[in-house]
Amino acid sequence: MGPTAQQRLVRVAAVIGFLIAFLVGVKLLGASFKMVGKDTAKNLFDGLTNPFAGLAVGILATVLVQSSSVTTAVVVGLVGDGQISVGHAVPVIMGANIGTSVTNTLVSLGHITRSAEFRRAFAGATMHDFFNLITVIVLLPIELATGFLQKSATALTTMFAGSSGVTYKSPIKEFIGSIAKWFIKLVEGVGLEGWWAAAVALAIGLALIVVSLIFITKIMRSLLAGRLEQSLNRVLGRSGIIGMGVGIVITVAVQSSSVTTSLLIPLIGAGILSLEVAFPITLGANIGTTVTALLAAMAADKTSGLTIALVHLLFNITGILLVYPFPPLRRIPIRLAEGLGSMAVRNRLLVLAYILTVFVVVPLLGVLIFRG
Amino acid sequence: MFKWFRPIESAEGMEEMRARVEDMLSEGRHIFDAASNAFLGGADPEVIRDDLFKTDKRINQLEQKVRRQALVHGTVYGTSQLPTCLVLMSIVKDAERIGDYCKNLYDIAAIKPLAKEDPFFADLIDHKNQISGLLEEAIRIYRSQKEDKAKAFLMRGDQMQDQYDANVVKLLGDDHGSKQSAAVILAYRYYKRVTAHLLNIISSLVVPLDELDYFDEDRMTRD
Repeated sequence: MGPTAQQRLVRVAAVIGFLIAFLVGVKLLGASFKMVGKDTAKNLFDGLTNPFAGLAVGILATVLVQSSSVTTAVVVGLVGDGQISVGHAVPVIMGANIGTSVTNTLVSLGHITRSAEFRRAFAGATMHDFFNLITVIVLLPIELATGFLQKSATALTTMFAGSSGVTYKSPIKEFIGSIAKWFIKLVEGVGLEGWWAAAVALAIGLALIVVSLIFITKIMRSLLAGRLEQSLNRVLGRSGIIGMGVGIVITVAVQSSSVTTSLLIPLIGAGILSLEVAFPITLGANIGTTVTALLAAMAADKTSGLTIALVHLLFNITGILLVYPFPPLRRIPIRLAEGLGSMAVRNRLLVLAYILTVFVVVPLLGVLIFRG
Repeated sequence: MFKWFRPIESAEGMEEMRARVEDMLSEGRHIFDAASNAFLGGADPEVIRDDLFKTDKRINQLEQKVRRQALVHGTVYGTSQLPTCLVLMSIVKDAERIGDYCKNLYDIAAIKPLAKEDPFFADLIDHKNQISGLLEEAIRIYRSQKEDKAKAFLMRGDQMQDQYDANVVKLLGDDHGSKQSAAVILAYRYYKRVTAHLLNIISSLVVPLDELDYFDEDRMTRD
């Protein structure tokens, strides 16, 4: 076995290890809230009963950790352990979709000193923002009025895993559960009780989720660099379904839509990747990123964890079906982004104002106003 | 720990770019032979015109393809691959310029090919054959990436450039006997440029990045 093959084998083993750690983190998260009692946990998440507050929390949390995967995994953990309902979690998931696009917008700032390059790069980044904002603006009210995403996801959950909300068993879950129990025993073993024990278990759970996802993403990216290069070379100059497929595959592989979309920014900035070609890749990344939540659902106690993960998937598929098949609609986020890119080149302060308003100020106000 | 995050390099992307550089050199040889044959009477300029311009277009497309691939490669692999990408960007420009000088030579041929009776005709034929061989050898050396062969190649190229210069000096005098001296001077000039661009490409195997393109200008000072 050559050194490269050995390196690959070690890294694949590391990814499996981090995947287990990630699932243990999701499990610990739910377990930690159980330790403080149902009422305390209920009070903590009461603010999320307002959908706009939920949406704002989703955006803020994702901007803060720079990863929608972390937010959705945490939400799946909380829903799967019955801490919050699927209905209340839906806007948080939608908010995570908006929040995740801040990363590539920040990446585009690397081109800010070169006008033509920056105009393209900023437009490339913000077309993802605009698409995600538009789909939330359209689908959130429809979801609130009809609950179609939740109903569809519940039906799919019933089909795959039995009734939504019931507890189900699987060997993976048992294994993950036993490791999580070991952590809790460890926390209690050092003399911590009640709130303190729960807080430490929660911190360990969150740390495991964040650290595991960071490592999985980085190691997978290092493992698949050659494939990434080939896929990007293949997609240059082509548009449509191939690009979407590449976006899905890359994002599933590296477990991060931000990595996929951020890789595109230098290519868009240099002008070798047009917005029209890059657009379906970013849409594919939106679908690919939902796999993290589906993985997290493996650790959840109840099938409702799978339901909210499926909501994430269906929300992104519906958004694409709503916009992509119709060229005039498809062009809306692209044209808006191009317009914003041109304005940003004329006035660089607008860039700062845009990022702060969309990703910080408005969601912060949303939390303050709607949380009650 | 952080070496775990270092991308495991896949040779495919780099090999593909190198293969495209080789393709450019191969097309370069084709266009050089065509233009030289047109100038030296081995081919009818009108007959080869289409093929010559199509070859130049293919060279340009290959250059653009390598540039795109180099950018993708740099984006995926990061700073560790930056020097390689910059070298590729530089040498494809050299390979592309070979096509341009051949077109210039063809333009002269299209006006009037060199008469066989010209005193420099045989020398130009000889140099045409040498450069054509140099182009073929450049492909082999670039493929092998062997430094010793690259150095020997560079020395040979240097000597050839000296010969072109000596002939140009002769042509600038009064007793050269050529009735098409302007065309012959331009031909030597284009041969020198084609050789210089070839030397730049092969020098990328041995000289530091910042010295690329200045290879022929620095030859007085190098050992």
